[in-house]
Amino acid sequence: MKKRHQQKLVVLSLLLLVLFNLPIILLFDSSDSLFGLPIIYVYIFSVWLFLVLISLIIVERYYE
Amino acid sequence: MNSALLLLVLLVYLGFLFFIAHWAEKKDNIKWTNNSYIYSLSLAVYCTAWTYYGSIGVAANSGLNYLPIYIGPIIIIPAWIIVLKKIIRISRVNKISSIADFISLRYGNSRFLGAIVTVVCLAGILPYIALQLKAISETFHIVTKTNSSSLIFNDTTTYVAIALALFASYYGTRYVDASEKRKGIVTAVAIESILKLVFFIVVGVYVTFFVFDGYDDIYTKASLLENFAEKNTIGGLDQGLNWFFLSMVSLFAIFLLPRQFHMTVVENNRERHLKTAIWLFPLYLLLFNLFVYPIAWGGNVLFEGQNVNADTYSLLIPQYFNNTFLTVLVFLGGFSAAISMIVVSSISLSTMLSNNLLIPYTFLGKLKNEEQIINNKKIVNIRKIGIFSLIIGAYFIYRFFALDYSLVSIGLISFVIIAQLAPSFFGAIFWRRGSRMGAIYSILIGFLVCVYTLLIPYAIGLTNNNSSFIAEGFLQIELLKPFQLFGLDYLEPVPHALFWSLLFNTITYFAVSVSFKGNYRERNYAEMYVDIEKYSTNHENAFVWKGTAYTSDIEKVLVRFLGEERTKRALNIFNVKYNVDKNQELADARLVKFAENLLTGHIGTASARILISSVVKEEKITLPEVLKILEESKENIIVNKKLTETSNELKEITLQLQNANSNLLVKDKQKDEFLDTVTHELRTPITAIRAASEILHDDEDIPEELKKQFLQNIISESDRLNRLIDKILDLEKFETGKQTISPTKNNLVETIEKSIEPLNQLIKNKNISVFVESKQKVNAYFDNDRIIQVITNLISNAIKFCPEKDGIIIVQIIDKGDFIQTSVFDNGKGINPKDFDAIFEKFYQSTNQNIKKPIGSGLGLAICKQIIEHHKGKIWAQTIEKGACIIFTLPKNKNIENI
Repeated sequence: MKKRHQQKLVVLSLLLLVLFNLPIILLFDSSDSLFGLPIIYVYIFSVWLFLVLISLIIVERYYE
Repeated sequence: MNSALLLLVLLVYLGFLFFIAHWAEKKDNIKWTNNSYIYSLSLAVYCTAWTYYGSIGVAANSGLNYLPIYIGPIIIIPAWIIVLKKIIRISRVNKISSIADFISLRYGNSRFLGAIVTVVCLAGILPYIALQLKAISETFHIVTKTNSSSLIFNDTTTYVAIALALFASYYGTRYVDASEKRKGIVTAVAIESILKLVFFIVVGVYVTFFVFDGYDDIYTKASLLENFAEKNTIGGLDQGLNWFFLSMVSLFAIFLLPRQFHMTVVENNRERHLKTAIWLFPLYLLLFNLFVYPIAWGGNVLFEGQNVNADTYSLLIPQYFNNTFLTVLVFLGGFSAAISMIVVSSISLSTMLSNNLLIPYTFLGKLKNEEQIINNKKIVNIRKIGIFSLIIGAYFIYRFFALDYSLVSIGLISFVIIAQLAPSFFGAIFWRRGSRMGAIYSILIGFLVCVYTLLIPYAIGLTNNNSSFIAEGFLQIELLKPFQLFGLDYLEPVPHALFWSLLFNTITYFAVSVSFKGNYRERNYAEMYVDIEKYSTNHENAFVWKGTAYTSDIEKVLVRFLGEERTKRALNIFNVKYNVDKNQELADARLVKFAENLLTGHIGTASARILISSVVKEEKITLPEVLKILEESKENIIVNKKLTETSNELKEITLQLQNANSNLLVKDKQKDEFLDTVTHELRTPITAIRAASEILHDDEDIPEELKKQFLQNIISESDRLNRLIDKILDLEKFETGKQTISPTKNNLVETIEKSIEPLNQLIKNKNISVFVESKQKVNAYFDNDRIIQVITNLISNAIKFCPEKDGIIIVQIIDKGDFIQTSVFDNGKGINPKDFDAIFEKFYQSTNQNIKKPIGSGLGLAICKQIIEHHKGKIWAQTIEKGACIIFTLPKNKNIENI
């Protein structure tokens, strides 16, 4: 994998650090229901799934 | 369920794992055991009974705080591509077999540091193993509805623990070399990872969709419960900070936990496996967490007001509905989660215990003088006993200290203790100046702060609830209250301890490292760790060492641990790799490092160094000297690389030149041949003309008739000469690119008919039947006149070669979509397949039939080829049963460039 593409994954890590912590996570801090789950759960699981998909795409495309 | 029956189920299950581990050790199954999926799944040893049962307890009792344990790792996993790759490379080239090796080697191969890391790991992990045994034991009693017996030997779970200890000590010590890959264990852990996930999802689906009516139903019922909103939000800034610290401690744990280090680094066969792990492991963790909330809140709804342990909801719910099968399934899942942690942790701890504590401090002197077989046996036995006693020891901790705390709180304490290694660990791979003293003091101080803020209060809490230590602080000093150190009162105990311990730890690490100069060996390894990319293929070069050493002395030491045969083989590999003469008496730095590496897997880095340095005489080098040597070796590597590149380039250019030269030679020869043939061709008619005109000139009495005959000959020969010159010019024009074609839209069938017309007389003369097989209209873009030339040529050739009787010529036109294929068959004598290419060359005929007068010019097919190629088509000859067949294609579309 080229250095440039490795950086993409590092940027993803930094992005997750921001999305999963203060103050961003408190913006979604609610127990109201969305699809039968409290909103905070829905938020965390969606970001999580996003992480899986993005990293899958990056490694599939650029890992030689 | 009956105890004996459940015990039987457990035995069968353990037997199954034995079988898997055994099967995976066989070489034939390497395809199944050495792949990225097994690797990724084996990382899920992270999910212990704590995940399996504890998460539900936290979600039910206090809310979201179980999630940071997974969020920390998934934040850092994408960056593994750089960080973990680096760690894996360093460990591979140095034969590192545990985190204690990794840290102590970097700081100058320090025996003392390795021992400290080992002690810290033991302190952190032993209670953690106890916690797993507690989970197995408690859930066993829930499933069998028995109470745990106060007498150890009456309690069935004691025997489960013993069986586990035997399993782990047998399979964990199959190799003396601890850096060797244990495929059996890895595969068994991967299988367990699948099972625990599947069983957990099964019970999750059961609770969500069979006990309740989906997520909405659970939400509606649960939201009526007390504190629902509070427990399903993070809540406020203070809690947000707690959340942050918890995710940080887990982020460290995914690197530093001995079992995690073992699975991700020591058992890594190929760096490539990371490709899958980077997305599959977070996905695994996500799936594991999807059903925690419904089970926890489903349980809260079902058991509202009853005093039950929320940790075990996943067992209690199916049991409540009398679903024994599902209860046992869940129990087995939890058992899997617990034993994979127990086995892997105890293996890595016992390796550390033997390689970093016991051997370097006690056994080394004895091992030095023993034979290889005895040594290996001793080392393996030390580890076997280590694994066994660790597990049994953990069981005693569980039994005698009762461990009244929930699964999560003990797990988190061990996370905080392990996190004390973080500054020295990450400093090791990114910061050259991190020093041995810095690492030692930082870990010690961090650990002491942990002891004060976590271990002592928890230990006191176990026996005495009225202690003034927690409420009033040490010596009743307000500022020293262990849970509110220096007045910091808004963090929970675990994040609080993490903050203070890591703060002191990190400051110490940096302060000591920059204040005191480290020794040259530390700096040497620092360079090697930080710049591993440069050294990963020839890392022995990165080891700076000066002194006198004899190859035979080193060999003697190696033989004691590796045996004659392996030592010989290893030294041979070394000699070949570095192009060293086998009979060289004096050993250099590379051999010293190489020998240390060979021993490292067996006895640990520290002992390996001690052993080797006992047979060599090392001279002290100064720090600047180390840096200078390293700089030189780096430069050498770069210069070497450049030289290889330049020489490769030169080789390529030489090759190109050679090719060009041989092409030119061929061309030159062809030119000569061409000139020869042209003169020959031209001379033939001229000779005929000259002969005829000479006769006419010399002899005036020839009869009128004969005179006419001669004149006729002169005319026809002149015509031939003319045609020949035309053709040569034609060909020359095509070949030099002066000739252009002007394609227009034409009907190929019409063109073919037009070309056959003038030949009709000839055809009739030879009694040949000509068939044109085609549709009425086949349109294409081509230069009509030129294609007439081609077809005329092909058909006259066919006529020429047709037999005297029953000659047949077939012209076939096939539309192939993008292009049109035209074939001309005749039933003549055919073409020798060897000549398929040659017939399209100039004067082919004449060079092969130079005895008699050629029938044609020998240029026809060569011109045809030029014309077709200018149309972007192809022409070739093909074998048929009887006769010859020439085929050419013409593209249908207009996009032929006009040349």
